[in-house]
Amino acid sequence: MDILVCVKHVPETAEADIKIDSTGKTIEKAGLVFDINEWDDYAVEEAVRIKEKLGGTVTVITVGSEDANSTLRKCLARGADKAIRLSDPKFEGSDSYAIAKILHKAIKDLPFDLIFTGAQAGDDGYAMVGPILAQLLGIPHATMVKKIELKNGVARVNRELEGGLEEIVEVKLPAVLTIQTGINEPRYVSIMGIRKAMKKEIKVLGMTELGLSENEVGEAGSWIKIEKLYVPPVEKQAEFLDGTPEEIAAKIAEILKARGLV
Amino acid sequence: MHFELNEEQKEIKRAIREFCEKEFTPELGLEFDEKEEFPMELYRKAAKLGFTSMRIPEQYEGQGYGLLEECIVVEEMCRAEPGIGAAISLGNLMVPDILLKHGTEEQKEKYIPPLAKGDATSAAAFTEPEHGSDITRMDTTAVKQGNEWIINGSKEFITNAPIADYFIILCQTDQEIQPSHRGQSLFLAEKGMAGLEATKLHGKMGIKPCITGSLALSDLRVPENNLVGELNKGFYYTLELFNGTRITVAAQAVGMAQGAFERAFNYAKNRKQFGRPIIDFQAISFKLAEMATKIEAARLLTYRAAWLYDQGKADPAATSMAKAYASRVAMEVTDEAIQIHGGYGYLADYHVERYHRCAKITEIYEGTTEMQKLTIMNFLKKRI
Amino acid sequence: MKEIFILAEHRRGEIRDITFEMLTKGKELAEKTNMELAVVLLGKDVKEHAKTLSQHAKKVLLIEDEKLENFNSESYQKVLSHLIKERKPLLTLIGHTSFGMDLAPSLAASLNIPLATDCIDLEIEDSALMVTRQMYGGKVNVKARLRQAESYLVTVRQATFPAEKASMNGEIIEIPSPLSEEAANKRFIEYVLPPPGGVDITAAEVLVGIGRGIKDESNLPLVEDLAKALGGVLACSRPIVDKGWLPNDRQVGTSGKTVKPKLYIALGISGAFQHVLGMKNSDLIIAVNKDPNAPIFSVADYGIVEDLFKIVPSLKDKIYELKAGKA
Repeated sequence: MDILVCVKHVPETAEADIKIDSTGKTIEKAGLVFDINEWDDYAVEEAVRIKEKLGGTVTVITVGSEDANSTLRKCLARGADKAIRLSDPKFEGSDSYAIAKILHKAIKDLPFDLIFTGAQAGDDGYAMVGPILAQLLGIPHATMVKKIELKNGVARVNRELEGGLEEIVEVKLPAVLTIQTGINEPRYVSIMGIRKAMKKEIKVLGMTELGLSENEVGEAGSWIKIEKLYVPPVEKQAEFLDGTPEEIAAKIAEILKARGLV
Repeated sequence: MHFELNEEQKEIKRAIREFCEKEFTPELGLEFDEKEEFPMELYRKAAKLGFTSMRIPEQYEGQGYGLLEECIVVEEMCRAEPGIGAAISLGNLMVPDILLKHGTEEQKEKYIPPLAKGDATSAAAFTEPEHGSDITRMDTTAVKQGNEWIINGSKEFITNAPIADYFIILCQTDQEIQPSHRGQSLFLAEKGMAGLEATKLHGKMGIKPCITGSLALSDLRVPENNLVGELNKGFYYTLELFNGTRITVAAQAVGMAQGAFERAFNYAKNRKQFGRPIIDFQAISFKLAEMATKIEAARLLTYRAAWLYDQGKADPAATSMAKAYASRVAMEVTDEAIQIHGGYGYLADYHVERYHRCAKITEIYEGTTEMQKLTIMNFLKKRI
Repeated sequence: MKEIFILAEHRRGEIRDITFEMLTKGKELAEKTNMELAVVLLGKDVKEHAKTLSQHAKKVLLIEDEKLENFNSESYQKVLSHLIKERKPLLTLIGHTSFGMDLAPSLAASLNIPLATDCIDLEIEDSALMVTRQMYGGKVNVKARLRQAESYLVTVRQATFPAEKASMNGEIIEIPSPLSEEAANKRFIEYVLPPPGGVDITAAEVLVGIGRGIKDESNLPLVEDLAKALGGVLACSRPIVDKGWLPNDRQVGTSGKTVKPKLYIALGISGAFQHVLGMKNSDLIIAVNKDPNAPIFSVADYGIVEDLFKIVPSLKDKIYELKAGKA
């Protein structure tokens, strides 16, 4: 089973202060810690587990600048066999559609049985790359996958629906599956893994090697053009309670008492 | 000159940081601080990922890196949680180091892989009730009888003594020789041998998850091939050993200082007084700037000493400077971190006083700061 | 007259709320731009749904086929691409749901029409389409323009617009299915219902919701004690279920349950919209989070910027004190 996993190097923003930069079109990246997109983390782990069970290879691919090497190395350290980085200054400004086109060029001539992507990315949250890539490759896909069983050239997967409901669908291989968090428990990077990863080369391909033209990538090749970023207007703002923990606890207790909740 | 970690070292730093941030939680730190218990399960988990065998060669199931890489790991462990960090970074203390340098192939193959894999822990017993910094004479004796050595005496303040599977014990093997340090040797012993009894020491100020104890040795018989290296070379092996391990103590100190600094920094950002975050007050912000500067200086001394060691240019003065300075910085920074927290800093569940209590040991063990200064001066006198 | 399509979403015999939410926005856009609103309904034996939907739009385009019995992105894509090519609507709205996420991107790529996903607002200026969406877990809003095209596709975030009320008497237009065979590469097998039993968080009056800020499974007893003190039960956001610390029947949010307790205490929950949608209608919301900019504070009534581990023990004590005083 040869599996390709598309990964993205994203800033960790759940607990970080986010500031919009002076262009108003992106955020200030300085000071943010970048890491593998959370959904992709599960996707890589799932691929490595399948490889460990059934044999084959896992190749991770990203579109990004040299900084993204650290995400690729992390994947290699956790068991991926090969890493490819697609990089070109012209890729700047690409939306998910353009990214999918870039990935498509790199992937179309590679051998694979499965392609995994994260169900979405934690930064832009488009949830588009996987199914678009499937369409460009002319193969089936299933999104929001929470469980995978492989047999006889078919992937039988559980898709997450709303409200705790799941559905089981079967897709013929080769296929693209977009992986939902919680499908497994991603392993830690081990020192043994790093030793192995450092011996592996990261293959870098640019626009010409991929046979792409300028109007297919970047803003020109995208569906979406960002006009401006802004801080969401506050619909309602909580009343903040200050003081020592004891004072705050007392204030909460008073509120609960007043409402008859205690 | 090159002042940056290489890619591989950065990967190591990231991996250990991620592991520690998820596993070495402050709540767990507080729990083990109160229990005074070694976090064995976590030690094994860290070991399986290779974090406790950085410097052990691959042929003995280790990672084959140098002291600098080990320092990176130790620093991150102590940054995340000073007590658990110290305990886990000392889990297979010194025994692999000594055996790798002076052990027989048989000793190496038997003892090092279990330590590298975290299946065993070890202790090195030098200090005695009457001999702390001065190990030039040991009251513990080893006397040859047939093909065995019979060991008698007692050891004090021995890290891991109550939990260790393997021991290395420094003994006087020649009572007559002058100076006495020319008559000392190292012996291997194992848990469960008759005549070896460990007692747990309670009530330490800090690093409570790191278990310390005393050893009572009464007619402990070890086979003659448990002698490590040459007879009567024990003192020299021990001094040479400290050249490396003292640097990891400096790394512990740097990590503890860094962890306390980050707690203080975040607290100052969020704590509001007189209507603004206290980090906006110069009294606080200058403190933080000084703390950060000192930590950086301590880190550079530590990394340089480790680098010299890895280059085969181990420099006792550089080692002692790193240890003495980093441990002092750890005391100062952790103290200021409490101060910035005000009254809360004095409370256990704000997780900052623990850094201060733990940091103190770095000025004491593996040679007190005063001993480091003697070493520094001895070398300076020779050089200048 | 150009059309605006709303793709009706239904599952297991029910039209899903997102359909009516999209109708609200679709109607507003249609009126502003003088276009015609049409609901597109695909399925097998769904005439009842068509009737319901005809009360919400001028037109219901109904395509019935037994091959459309269950949602299957492959069959849906075929039918919709056929319909869009033929009728060239300016805009097609699809829910940003597990259904829409499986369908919209590949449909857009196959037709090469621009798509923007997970939108919280959209407007048509001349024939250009502007959308509003969020990034970085809701910390930043983005205004974006779609590349100029004849037809656009947008997926709409759930619970962003109010549900449209029935006000029309539209026409049902039956369109023959263009499908000649079953989907070749993708097959629906069955639904998997959440396991029965466990705790029903939708019935609880007091919920203590926990998120990433809880840090470690070993901290669960602490918050469990608080829930107990309040006579409530523990609920959680997605990461807690992903880590296996609580079963998924405790999950609040789009992929979990929607709750409306009298009191919801959010501990260490940043407030990603998926979670917020499941709890924002609680009577009283109190949120504790270390990050003063956490989105949870814009739905909470009271906010506490502090480490939850500092607040929870004190709060628990205070509640027991109060109870003791009462007794």
